[in-house]
Amino acid sequence: MIKKTIVITTAFSLLFLTGCSQTAPGFNGSNAGKNNISDATQIAGDTVTIDENQYGNETAGSAAAGKYNSSGNGFQSIYFAFGDYAISSNMENNIASDANVVNRANAAKIKIEGNCDEFGTDEYNYALGLKRAKAVKDAIAAQGGNTGNIVIVSFGESNPVCSDPTDECYARNRRVDLRLVK
Amino acid sequence: MKYILLLLLSINLFAVDATLKIEKDVEQRSHIALVDGSAVPNDQISNILLSDLRISGHFLPDSTVYKGNISSNFIAPALKKQEYVLKYIFSQKSGTKLLIRLLKASDGTQILKKSYAIPSTRKMPFLAHKAVSDINNILKYPDISWINRYVVFSRYTTPGHSEILLADYTFNYQKVIIRGGLNLFPKWADKNQKSFYYTSYKGQIPTLYKINIYTGAKEKIISSEGMLVCSDVSKNGSKLLLTMAPGGQADIYEFDLATKRKTRITRFRGIDVNGRYADDESRIVFVSNRLGYANIFKKSIHSAAVSQVVYHGRNNNACDAYGKKIVYSSRESAHTFGNNTFNLYLTSLTGSAGTRPLTTTGSNQFPRFSPDGSVILFIKHRGDGSSIGYINLGSHQSMLFPLGGRKIQSIDW
Repeated sequence: MIKKTIVITTAFSLLFLTGCSQTAPGFNGSNAGKNNISDATQIAGDTVTIDENQYGNETAGSAAAGKYNSSGNGFQSIYFAFGDYAISSNMENNIASDANVVNRANAAKIKIEGNCDEFGTDEYNYALGLKRAKAVKDAIAAQGGNTGNIVIVSFGESNPVCSDPTDECYARNRRVDLRLVK
Repeated sequence: MKYILLLLLSINLFAVDATLKIEKDVEQRSHIALVDGSAVPNDQISNILLSDLRISGHFLPDSTVYKGNISSNFIAPALKKQEYVLKYIFSQKSGTKLLIRLLKASDGTQILKKSYAIPSTRKMPFLAHKAVSDINNILKYPDISWINRYVVFSRYTTPGHSEILLADYTFNYQKVIIRGGLNLFPKWADKNQKSFYYTSYKGQIPTLYKINIYTGAKEKIISSEGMLVCSDVSKNGSKLLLTMAPGGQADIYEFDLATKRKTRITRFRGIDVNGRYADDESRIVFVSNRLGYANIFKKSIHSAAVSQVVYHGRNNNACDAYGKKIVYSSRESAHTFGNNTFNLYLTSLTGSAGTRPLTTTGSNQFPRFSPDGSVILFIKHRGDGSSIGYINLGSHQSMLFPLGGRKIQSIDW
C-alpha cells in the first residue's frame, strides 16, 4: 500500500515539476515587409534599422595599459569594492599619479569613465558608476589636480574589461578609467 | 517511508511558482477549442493562439488543436462541452493570411468571422494577437489590447556596444531598430508607439534622442554629463522624467518638451534614479539609497518631503508605477556575486492594500506595467536561462517566453 502511495505521489511530483512553465515556440521567419494587417490600423508602415557601426565608438579606442589598468594616456584606473563608491586607501597612489597626469595635460580635455560589475541592474548601476567617476574627480581635485577640463560619464555595466565568472574579473570591472578626449 | 512522502510533497510545494499559479476561479473563464482547417497545419500559429488565449485570463483553451472544415458550422460531439470553438485557416502562400470563425459550441452559431493579412512572414505573431484581441472584444471581456503592442528593448552585444530592438510580447518577432554604438534605455514616446526615446553615447556626453520607428527621423532632446535616462513619459507625452547629472550628481528632473525647461525634483547627495509618474502625475516614485541601500520612495513633484514606500528588503533597486499601484523588485539573498534571488512585489502608494508577492523563484527584474496597468512585464533569470514574463494582475495568470542569451539592458512596452 505504501509503495503504491509513493508511486502515485512521485507521478504527481513529476507532473508538477514539469508542468509549471508555459512557453511559446520559436519562429524562423525571414522576409521583412510592410506591416499592413487588414483592420489592424495601429500597425502602420515598416520600421527602420539604423546601423551606427559606421560612427565607431570613442570609448573603445584606448587599449588597457597593463593587466590591471584599462585607462589610457598615462592614467591609472581606480578600482572599487562591491557596491561601493568610496576610494579605498590602496588607491591613493593611483589618485596622486592621476592628479599629476591631469596637471601635465595642460588644456586637454579629460574623460573620467565610471564602470560597474554585472550584478547591478537598470538605472541604479549607471548611477553607481557615476558616483565612482565623481569620487575620482573630487579626489583628484583634493590632490591639487585641475579639474576644469574634466568631463565625467557613467558606463554602468556596459563596458566590462573581462567576462570571466571570477571575483578577480568582477573586481576589474568595478573601476574608473581616465583618458584624454580626442 | 513517512520521510520519503514528506520529501516528495515538499518538492511539489517548492515547484509551484507564485507567478505561475492560477488563482482565478476556473469557472469564470470560457472553455474554447481550436479547429485548424489549414491545408498545411502550422504549429507556430496554433501555439501563439493558445498562448494569447491563456494570458488573456478570460479563456481556458483546450490544448489539443483539432482538424476540421472551417466553412461548416458543424461542431463535433467531442467539442460540445466547450463554450466556444475557434475555427481558422492559416496560409503563407503569397503573404501571410489568417481567417477566423468564432462559433458557439452548443449550436454552431457564428459570433465572429474575420480575415487578417500581412506581407511579412516575420510579423505573423501580430496576426494571432490581433485575432485573439478581437475575439476577446466581441465577447465583451475586459480589454487585452496590450497583446498587440510592440516591446522595445536594448541588449548588450559586445563591451561598449548594444542594439535596440522591437519585439511582439512573446518575443517570437524581433527586429533590430538601432544596431551598433552604445544606445541604451529605450522608452516609448507616445501611446501609439510611433517613436521612442533613447540615450546615445555617440558624443562626448550622454544625449537623449527621440526616433520615429517608421521613418528613422531623429530629434535631439537634451544632453547631460554623467548619465542621462528617460525614466518615464507623461500620459499626454508632453513631459519626461529624466535621471540626469548636470553637476555630476544623479537626480530626477522633469523636462517640459514644449518649453525645453527642466525642473529638478530630487536633491540628494547619494543616488536618486528610476523616477516614475504615480497617482495623477502630481507625484513620483523612485529608487534612492538615502537609507544606505537601494529602496523605493515617493514624493510630490512640487514639494520637498520624501516618504519611504517599502519597509522590507535590503536592496529594492527598480520599480514602476501605475496610478496608485507600485511594483518593485527586491533582492532576497545576500550573495555578493552570482545568482541572487530577486522577487517582484505589488504594493500601493498609500500602503492601504498591503503588499502582494508576485514571484517566488529566480531573479525577477525590470518590472513594467502595461499601458492599462492590468499586466506586469518582467525578465526572469534562472539557472536554465532567461525568459520574459507576464503577470495578469486580475486573473493571476502568468506566462514565460524564452529569451536569447544576450543580456537585456532595459525594456519598455
